[in-house]
Amino acid sequence: MAKQSIYQNEVDNLDQSKNFLKRDDYSQMELQLEFKKLVENYEELIDQVKIITKISDRLQKKLNKTNDALENSNVQLADLNNQLNNTIDQLTEAKIGRKASTIVLFIAIGLFVVSEVLLEPIIDDAFKDNAYVGLILKLVVAILIKPGEDFANKYMLKKARKAQMKEQEEKMIKEKDQSSKKKRRKII
Amino acid sequence: MDNLIIDGTRQTPEINFDSETGILKLEGRSIPENTFEFFTPVLNWLDEYANSAPGKTIAKINLEYFNTSSSKYILEILKKLKVLLNDGKEVLVEWYYEEDDEEMMETGEDYEDVSGLPFKIISFEEE
Repeated sequence: MAKQSIYQNEVDNLDQSKNFLKRDDYSQMELQLEFKKLVENYEELIDQVKIITKISDRLQKKLNKTNDALENSNVQLADLNNQLNNTIDQLTEAKIGRKASTIVLFIAIGLFVVSEVLLEPIIDDAFKDNAYVGLILKLVVAILIKPGEDFANKYMLKKARKAQMKEQEEKMIKEKDQSSKKKRRKII
Repeated sequence: MDNLIIDGTRQTPEINFDSETGILKLEGRSIPENTFEFFTPVLNWLDEYANSAPGKTIAKINLEYFNTSSSKYILEILKKLKVLLNDGKEVLVEWYYEEDDEEMMETGEDYEDVSGLPFKIISFEEE
């Protein structure tokens, strides 16, 4: 373990000096040489620490900048995603609105035909004296067209949103399954 | 002497040290989980290279990002190149950085100051 250090040279130099101190038979000259070596190593170590700290701080700054840029991109992406979802919603609403109008129009035509062909003769027979009854009936049908359209629109929109949510849930479950499979593969 | 070729990964740089041409390429990202394990063969190769190095050595360093322990090993690599220079060999360090990467440019300048090696700091356009 001791050999697996990025500061192995420095540790070796320190050990050498410690071993020297354990001796008690060194001369003044040897002591001076050892001290000189220690000072040189210490000086080199300080230079290294200075430069490594400086570079490390600078690269940390670079990392922070990259993170900020990434965060901004994520925010922009989320905005675009929201805009896209809104547009899709609007398009779905418009599509469903058109469909509902068509359905209600056909129902109204059907009711008109039914009232003209089937109900009109019966009403004419039943209310011979009152010509307004048939007219009121037609008016009621005409008045009901708009709320009918709104009801059909709301119902179809609700159904479409439910289908959309179900689709999203299924998609999420599928993605979850895929990511857990990947994790399992990594562990294996 | 064999060349030293190590493929780059998402965490380790690509290394292509050619003992015949004297071109030593180091490029990519250096954030190994174990820097000691990654760089020890590189330093050992440079020790051997010092005995048979051609007249001119060009170190082409193009790093996108490196961690603190890698910065120590880059310093060690430069120290070994300094030994070559002191032995009378020609040594040039080409330090590449993306044109808007101010941090990497300044880092190259710092290494130039501390190593005492001739440096050429070269910017390149982002792909």
